[in-house]
Amino acid sequence: MSRKTTSQSIMEKRWRKFKTMKRGYYSLWLLVSLYIISFLLPLLINNKPLMLKYEGELFFPVFQYHAGEKFGQVVHGEARYRDLQVTFREAGEGNWMLMPLYPYHPNESLLSELPSEPPTEPNGTHFLGTDNRGRDVFARLLYGFNITLSFALVVALFAYTIGISIGAILGFFGGKVDIIGQRFIEIFSAIPFLYTMIIISSIIQPNFFLLTLVMTCFGWMGMTYYIRGEFYREKARDYVSAAVSMGANNRRVMFRHIMPNALTPVITFMPFAVIAYIGTLVGLDFLGFGLAPPTPSWGELVNQGVADIRYWWLVVSPMAASFCTLLMITFIGEAIREAFDPKVYSRLR
Amino acid sequence: MTTYIIRRLLLMIPTFFGITILVFSILQMVPGGPYEQELLRIRSQMMLTGEGGGGGGDMAMVEIPEEAKVRLKEFYGLNYPAPVRYLIWLGVWPKEIDNHEVAFELGATESIFKLKKTESLLVRAEDEEFAVYNMDGTAADKWHARLLSYDDVTGAPNVKIYKRRLRGILLGNLGVSYKYAEPVWTLIKERIHISAYFGLISFFLSYLVCIPLGIAKALRHGSKFDTISSVIVFVGYSTPGWILGALLLVYFGGGSFWDVFPLGEFRSEYFEYMNFFEKIVDQLHHTILPVIAYMVAAFATLTVLMKNSLLENLSQDYVRTAFAKGLSEKRVVFFHTVRNSLIPIATGIGGLLGVWLAGSYLIEKVFNIQGIGLLSYMAVINRDYPIVMGFMVIGTVIRLLGNLTSDMCYAAIDPRIRFK
Repeated sequence: MSRKTTSQSIMEKRWRKFKTMKRGYYSLWLLVSLYIISFLLPLLINNKPLMLKYEGELFFPVFQYHAGEKFGQVVHGEARYRDLQVTFREAGEGNWMLMPLYPYHPNESLLSELPSEPPTEPNGTHFLGTDNRGRDVFARLLYGFNITLSFALVVALFAYTIGISIGAILGFFGGKVDIIGQRFIEIFSAIPFLYTMIIISSIIQPNFFLLTLVMTCFGWMGMTYYIRGEFYREKARDYVSAAVSMGANNRRVMFRHIMPNALTPVITFMPFAVIAYIGTLVGLDFLGFGLAPPTPSWGELVNQGVADIRYWWLVVSPMAASFCTLLMITFIGEAIREAFDPKVYSRLR
Repeated sequence: MTTYIIRRLLLMIPTFFGITILVFSILQMVPGGPYEQELLRIRSQMMLTGEGGGGGGDMAMVEIPEEAKVRLKEFYGLNYPAPVRYLIWLGVWPKEIDNHEVAFELGATESIFKLKKTESLLVRAEDEEFAVYNMDGTAADKWHARLLSYDDVTGAPNVKIYKRRLRGILLGNLGVSYKYAEPVWTLIKERIHISAYFGLISFFLSYLVCIPLGIAKALRHGSKFDTISSVIVFVGYSTPGWILGALLLVYFGGGSFWDVFPLGEFRSEYFEYMNFFEKIVDQLHHTILPVIAYMVAAFATLTVLMKNSLLENLSQDYVRTAFAKGLSEKRVVFFHTVRNSLIPIATGIGGLLGVWLAGSYLIEKVFNIQGIGLLSYMAVINRDYPIVMGFMVIGTVIRLLGNLTSDMCYAAIDPRIRFK
């Protein structure tokens, strides 16, 4: 038997330290699994059955459109499956369907089914009640989770790529490039974000991609300062001189040699940037300049709730959802920061 | 240090012009500006009343008289090209003020305009130009005249007379709001005490809470108290202030739960008629919820900053020396370490400048507080460009100066930091 002696890379060490941080570690797992599950939401929360048997034939309405007439329903357009389920059950002719766990679609107005004028309070059928257009709040919250988190992650990815590249160039070349570049960044960061967003949404309805694009344009500046500082510090180190003397070109020195050493602040800030982007999206949706309706959104629900505070569930539930999501990310961020921090605080005495 | 400050101040100049030129051109370029919106409003109004020969049908069919368009353009200053408009706004190109319209009879070469009860001006058509004279025949050299339009019906010229004066941002003039028809300064002055009130209270309260809490957490690092308060801090960090505000309103604003606090606003409607004691109670009553919403944002970052900074200092060699000298723990912590750990906190003092305008439009919107934040937000929505530009300038200046102040605070507190 050979005993394996392995040396740990710095990343392995950090990962091990991260794992000891229980709050952050479990939050990471929970958040990642929830996020993956949220992509399967159309199979879990939807008003179309996963599978349907009608007169001996199998249908999969989740994936395919079927007109109501096909199943003997007198309706315009797509079949109303929840009504159909009742019909099937009453008739007892061997027709059946398998509905998703929670048979309501986030954009589906339930006006005809609700006992009173919407918004209605939470009850057994609608866990978190309905909003002012009679749409199910629970379904909207969960779909909103996927959209919000995807938005924040995509923006973080792009904004970081741009911010890191520009910060690296400023820090690496320094001098005039740095002074001029910094002025441009200063000028650019003075453009009022909200204003631009309002103008854009008055011209075109912002969709997911447009909104990520705009957010990216306004979100990359913060990162440049950190990377710039790191590059300033790192480029004076001996290993950089060594790389240069070996004939490595600028690009190689920047990206192969310095970059891995300069990424620490980037990684530790990432979760907090994601939190900031989520906050921005919710705020924009609240003001009505975010994603185009009827996209399920947390901010829009809060807006409805603030308009009439008797409808407490319209504020409390999106608040709880955003709070839980942000708390998990905060815990992850805290654990990452701790794991990347080589300092061990020793109390002297 | 002086050279450094001078250089920083000089670098601000190109930044300032860059920012203003950029924002100004964005405002001018985008469609749907105030002029277009006003046209749209008039058009829809004419359509409703059935004027303009549109036959109550298509919006595009309704024709707005050329004269009205010219007047609107004059009002929004669009008769000048965009670069000139920027210079006027800056205050290096004269602005037309004291505008009056003078109507001419058809075929007449002269028209008398009554300026005041005792004072009149004579406007004379000379070739294609127009000139202004005093009633005694001498040229009124302060006044200028320009052809505005020809009357739609009679074809007689309408002439605009005006004075020219430098009025712009560099002279401290922020312009006049389109919507409120009042100087932007006046609008800000009317509201600044509201935003500053909430801003200052939450600023000082958060420092009062966070610094002792951070110290306590650092001294008991790793204890149960530290863990529990950490969770509270993270909970605070995960709560956007304005959503917390909405939540507090739902619970305490008298909806379906408790009716403890008012539904926002700065003061009660009948504040004026209250006696001194009632006034204090009423003001506090309206203060508590918004201040909580404002504080939650700074709470987490400040506490963690204080804690980490103190922890770092506690592991320094000079602490060992201090203990070795035989100083008591109290003295070491509060006399030596805490003072040094306040350095990173001090950078936040630069933000104090911004507190005056710190009104968060989200929180002010939730609580319906008529402060600075809400004013700027509504200006953006209404396309009230003078207000938008005014806020942009104030914000830019405050931020640039705030950064400099922060850096100087750094240098003042920490003797190791020297800027060159």
